[in-house]
Amino acid sequence: MAQTNPPFMSGVPELLLLRLLDQQEMYGYELVRSIKNVTEEAISLGEGVIYPALHGLERNGSLKSRRKAVGGRTRVYYSVTGKGRQRLEKLQDDWRRIQGGITTALEVPAHA
Amino acid sequence: MPRPNFGELRNELLNSGISPSHVCRAVTEINEHYEDLVDAGLDDGRGRRDAEKFAVGALGDLKDISAAMREQPELKSWAWHHPKLALLVYPLACVAALPAVPLVAGVQNAAEIARWAACLLVSGVLTAFLFLVLQLSISPI
Repeated sequence: MAQTNPPFMSGVPELLLLRLLDQQEMYGYELVRSIKNVTEEAISLGEGVIYPALHGLERNGSLKSRRKAVGGRTRVYYSVTGKGRQRLEKLQDDWRRIQGGITTALEVPAHA
Repeated sequence: MPRPNFGELRNELLNSGISPSHVCRAVTEINEHYEDLVDAGLDDGRGRRDAEKFAVGALGDLKDISAAMREQPELKSWAWHHPKLALLVYPLACVAALPAVPLVAGVQNAAEIARWAACLLVSGVLTAFLFLVLQLSISPI
């Protein structure tokens, strides 16, 4: 199981959720499965804690939700709003910048 | 393994000031998620008990979920943000709502009230008819 490091993982769940929901609307259980698939289980989120993250993103206007009854169960589908797309672009830029910096640092000899 | 206590999670979240709408939806979602995990476990060929154990493990500790919700001030209710205002508004709202209670109760039980009204009407008409017959039978022609 992947180890999590809160300071470094900060913002990662938000980035993943926005990225996946930008492609198609999903409900919580689908999202968890998608995260496991796209990250090849490198990132392991506690399945239940995805809901506080989703509610927080909805509350700040990045996501919107709609209820749908499917097979006798209540599904709450989430999708990205315009504000969420802007946030996603910013997070992606930040992440690429950090990733570039780390990659460069790893390529530089340790004694440099 | 016992089923997670979603009622306890609901109470904990409400007591910590999370907005009731978020609490209600989150608990429903987590409950459904648990059921999906159990189904997935059964589909994988596990027995019921193993599937439930798997679901509890995958879902994680409810206290972690509760803590994650409590960490987000934007999920708190307006009463949590403005407790003094809530102390003023809630009693006033209750007093204002009191006259509407019979109306709301009437609307909610409209079918039953209509049935009772129809029964009273029929019984009134029947009684009046019987009195009329009685009156006519004793009246001198």
